[in-house]
Amino acid sequence: MAECSCGSGETNLLFACSGAANTGFLADQVMRTLVRRKCGKGTCLSAIGADLSGYLASARASTRNLVIDGCPVACGKKIFEGKGLPFVHVVMTELGVEKGTTEITGDLIEEIADKVAAAMKA
Amino acid sequence: MKVQILGMGCPKCKLLEQNAREAARELGIDVEIEKVADSDTIMEMGVMMTPALAIDGNVKSAGKVLTKDQVARILKGGK
Repeated sequence: MAECSCGSGETNLLFACSGAANTGFLADQVMRTLVRRKCGKGTCLSAIGADLSGYLASARASTRNLVIDGCPVACGKKIFEGKGLPFVHVVMTELGVEKGTTEITGDLIEEIADKVAAAMKA
Repeated sequence: MKVQILGMGCPKCKLLEQNAREAARELGIDVEIEKVADSDTIMEMGVMMTPALAIDGNVKSAGKVLTKDQVARILKGGK
Protein backbone atom coordinates (compact mmCIF):
# COMPACT_ATOMS: atom_id res chain seq x y z
CA MET A 1 0.00 0.00 0.00
CA ALA A 2 1.23 3.49 -0.77
CA GLU A 3 2.37 5.38 2.29
CA CYS A 4 0.89 8.78 3.06
CA SER A 5 3.60 11.33 3.78
CA CYS A 6 1.36 12.88 6.42
CA GLY A 7 2.81 10.22 8.68
CA SER A 8 6.16 10.82 10.29
CA GLY A 9 9.28 8.75 9.85
CA GLU A 10 11.33 7.54 6.97
CA THR A 11 10.44 5.49 3.93
CA ASN A 12 12.91 2.86 2.86
CA LEU A 13 12.34 1.17 -0.48
CA LEU A 14 13.78 -2.29 -1.03
CA PHE A 15 14.80 -3.61 -4.45
CA ALA A 16 16.05 -7.16 -5.08
CA CYS A 17 17.70 -8.53 -8.18
CA SER A 18 15.60 -11.75 -8.14
CA GLY A 19 17.92 -13.30 -10.70
CA ALA A 20 17.88 -16.94 -11.78
CA ALA A 21 20.80 -18.16 -9.68
CA ASN A 22 20.65 -19.19 -6.03
CA THR A 23 22.03 -15.77 -5.15
CA GLY A 24 19.19 -14.01 -6.96
CA PHE A 25 16.69 -16.20 -5.14
CA LEU A 26 18.37 -15.33 -1.85
CA ALA A 27 18.30 -11.60 -2.66
CA ASP A 28 14.56 -11.85 -3.30
CA GLN A 29 13.89 -13.79 -0.10
CA VAL A 30 15.99 -11.41 1.98
CA MET A 31 14.00 -8.49 0.59
CA ARG A 32 10.73 -10.20 1.51
CA THR A 33 12.05 -10.97 4.99
CA LEU A 34 12.97 -7.32 5.51
CA VAL A 35 9.48 -6.30 4.38
CA ARG A 36 7.97 -8.66 6.96
CA ARG A 37 10.24 -7.10 9.58
CA LYS A 38 8.95 -3.68 8.48
CA CYS A 39 12.43 -2.48 7.54
CA GLY A 40 11.00 -1.02 4.36
CA LYS A 41 8.61 -1.45 1.49
CA GLY A 42 9.40 -3.95 -1.22
CA THR A 43 9.12 -2.68 -4.74
CA CYS A 44 10.18 -3.65 -8.25
CA LEU A 45 13.71 -3.28 -9.54
CA SER A 46 12.59 -4.21 -13.04
CA ALA A 47 10.14 -1.29 -13.03
CA ILE A 48 13.05 1.07 -12.44
CA GLY A 49 14.88 -0.51 -15.35
CA ALA A 50 11.75 -0.13 -17.47
CA ASP A 51 11.56 3.61 -16.71
CA LEU A 52 8.09 3.42 -15.16
CA SER A 53 7.44 6.91 -13.89
CA GLY A 54 5.70 6.10 -10.61
CA TYR A 55 8.51 3.84 -9.47
CA LEU A 56 11.15 6.38 -10.47
CA ALA A 57 9.35 9.20 -8.65
CA SER A 58 9.01 7.04 -5.55
CA ALA A 59 12.70 6.11 -5.61
CA ARG A 60 13.61 9.80 -5.93
CA ALA A 61 11.42 10.66 -2.94
CA SER A 62 12.31 7.84 -0.55
CA THR A 63 14.53 8.27 2.47
CA ARG A 64 16.70 5.38 1.37
CA ASN A 65 16.77 2.89 -1.52
CA LEU A 66 18.30 -0.46 -0.66
CA VAL A 67 19.44 -2.44 -3.70
CA ILE A 68 20.06 -6.12 -2.96
CA ASP A 69 22.09 -7.78 -5.69
CA GLY A 70 22.80 -11.48 -5.77
CA CYS A 71 26.21 -11.54 -7.38
CA PRO A 72 29.02 -9.27 -8.59
CA VAL A 73 27.32 -8.77 -11.96
CA ALA A 74 25.36 -6.20 -9.91
CA CYS A 75 22.46 -5.58 -12.28
CA GLY A 76 20.58 -3.63 -9.62
CA LYS A 77 23.51 -1.35 -8.98
CA LYS A 78 23.93 -0.70 -12.71
CA ILE A 79 20.24 0.10 -13.10
CA PHE A 80 20.30 2.61 -10.24
CA GLU A 81 23.53 4.19 -11.43
CA GLY A 82 22.10 4.45 -14.91
CA LYS A 83 19.07 6.32 -13.62
CA GLY A 84 21.14 8.56 -11.33
CA LEU A 85 19.24 7.39 -8.26
CA PRO A 86 20.83 7.27 -4.80
CA PHE A 87 21.03 3.87 -3.14
CA VAL A 88 22.63 1.66 -0.51
CA HIS A 89 24.07 -1.48 -2.07
CA VAL A 90 24.51 -5.00 -0.74
CA VAL A 91 25.64 -8.10 -2.62
CA MET A 92 24.87 -11.61 -1.43
CA THR A 93 28.21 -13.02 -2.55
CA GLU A 94 29.97 -10.49 -0.35
CA LEU A 95 28.15 -11.93 2.66
CA GLY A 96 29.60 -15.43 2.50
CA VAL A 97 27.30 -16.91 -0.14
CA GLU A 98 28.71 -18.72 -3.17
CA LYS A 99 26.93 -18.36 -6.47
CA GLY A 100 25.76 -21.73 -7.79
CA THR A 101 26.72 -23.74 -4.72
CA THR A 102 25.32 -22.39 -1.45
CA GLU A 103 22.01 -23.98 -0.52
CA ILE A 104 19.42 -21.34 0.33
CA THR A 105 17.72 -22.30 3.59
CA GLY A 106 15.37 -20.49 5.90
CA ASP A 107 18.13 -20.06 8.47
CA LEU A 108 20.46 -18.57 5.87
CA ILE A 109 17.79 -16.12 4.71
CA GLU A 110 17.27 -14.93 8.29
CA GLU A 111 21.03 -14.69 8.90
CA ILE A 112 21.64 -12.65 5.77
CA ALA A 113 18.59 -10.48 6.48
CA ASP A 114 20.14 -9.65 9.86
CA LYS A 115 23.34 -8.55 8.14
CA VAL A 116 21.53 -6.49 5.52
CA ALA A 117 19.36 -4.81 8.15
CA ALA A 118 22.51 -3.84 10.02
CA ALA A 119 24.04 -2.47 6.81
CA MET A 120 20.95 -0.33 6.26
CA LYS A 121 21.43 1.32 9.64
CA ALA A 122 25.16 1.90 9.16
CA MET B 1 -4.20 17.70 -20.32
CA LYS B 2 -5.13 15.45 -17.42
CA VAL B 3 -3.68 16.10 -13.98
CA GLN B 4 -4.04 13.34 -11.43
CA ILE B 5 -3.64 13.87 -7.71
CA LEU B 6 -2.88 10.55 -6.06
CA GLY B 7 -3.60 10.17 -2.37
CA MET B 8 -6.13 9.04 0.19
CA GLY B 9 -7.51 12.50 0.83
CA CYS B 10 -5.24 13.74 3.59
CA PRO B 11 -4.52 17.48 4.08
CA LYS B 12 -1.34 17.22 1.99
CA CYS B 13 -3.26 15.70 -0.90
CA LYS B 14 -5.80 18.50 -0.74
CA LEU B 15 -3.06 21.12 -0.65
CA LEU B 16 -1.38 19.58 -3.70
CA GLU B 17 -4.70 19.61 -5.53
CA GLN B 18 -5.22 23.26 -4.60
CA ASN B 19 -1.71 24.16 -5.81
CA ALA B 20 -2.31 22.31 -9.07
CA ARG B 21 -5.61 24.11 -9.66
CA GLU B 22 -4.01 27.50 -8.96
CA ALA B 23 -1.03 26.77 -11.19
CA ALA B 24 -3.28 25.76 -14.07
CA ARG B 25 -5.50 28.80 -13.58
CA GLU B 26 -2.54 31.21 -13.53
CA LEU B 27 -1.10 29.64 -16.66
CA GLY B 28 -4.47 29.72 -18.37
CA ILE B 29 -4.19 26.04 -19.17
CA ASP B 30 -7.33 24.00 -19.51
CA VAL B 31 -6.75 20.89 -17.43
CA GLU B 32 -8.88 18.08 -16.14
CA ILE B 33 -8.02 17.39 -12.53
CA GLU B 34 -8.74 13.90 -11.27
CA LYS B 35 -8.36 12.75 -7.67
CA VAL B 36 -7.18 9.16 -7.39
CA ALA B 37 -7.82 7.72 -3.93
CA ASP B 38 -8.05 4.03 -4.75
CA SER B 39 -5.00 2.37 -3.22
CA ASP B 40 -4.87 -0.38 -5.85
CA THR B 41 -4.78 2.18 -8.65
CA ILE B 42 -2.09 4.16 -6.84
CA MET B 43 0.02 1.03 -6.42
CA GLU B 44 -0.50 0.03 -10.04
CA MET B 45 1.00 3.36 -11.00
CA GLY B 46 4.07 2.45 -8.94
CA VAL B 47 3.56 5.17 -6.38
CA MET B 48 4.85 4.14 -2.96
CA MET B 49 4.40 7.48 -1.21
CA THR B 50 1.58 9.98 -1.51
CA PRO B 51 0.63 12.64 -2.33
CA ALA B 52 1.73 12.21 -5.91
CA LEU B 53 1.08 14.12 -9.08
CA ALA B 54 0.77 12.68 -12.56
CA ILE B 55 0.33 14.41 -15.89
CA ASP B 56 -1.41 12.37 -18.58
CA GLY B 57 -0.60 9.19 -16.67
CA ASN B 58 3.07 10.03 -16.19
CA VAL B 59 4.00 10.34 -12.50
CA LYS B 60 6.05 13.49 -11.97
CA SER B 61 6.31 13.60 -8.20
CA ALA B 62 5.66 11.35 -5.21
CA GLY B 63 5.71 11.78 -1.47
CA LYS B 64 5.68 15.56 -1.35
CA VAL B 65 3.49 18.59 -1.76
CA LEU B 66 4.70 20.52 -4.78
CA THR B 67 4.29 24.26 -4.57
CA LYS B 68 2.15 26.12 -7.08
CA ASP B 69 5.31 27.25 -8.89
CA GLN B 70 6.69 23.71 -9.02
CA VAL B 71 3.45 22.43 -10.50
CA ALA B 72 3.48 25.30 -12.98
CA ARG B 73 6.97 24.32 -14.17
CA ILE B 74 5.76 20.77 -14.74
CA LEU B 75 2.65 21.95 -16.57
CA LYS B 76 4.87 24.04 -18.83
CA GLY B 77 6.84 20.94 -19.69
CA GLY B 78 9.71 21.28 -17.25
CA LYS B 79 10.75 18.85 -14.52
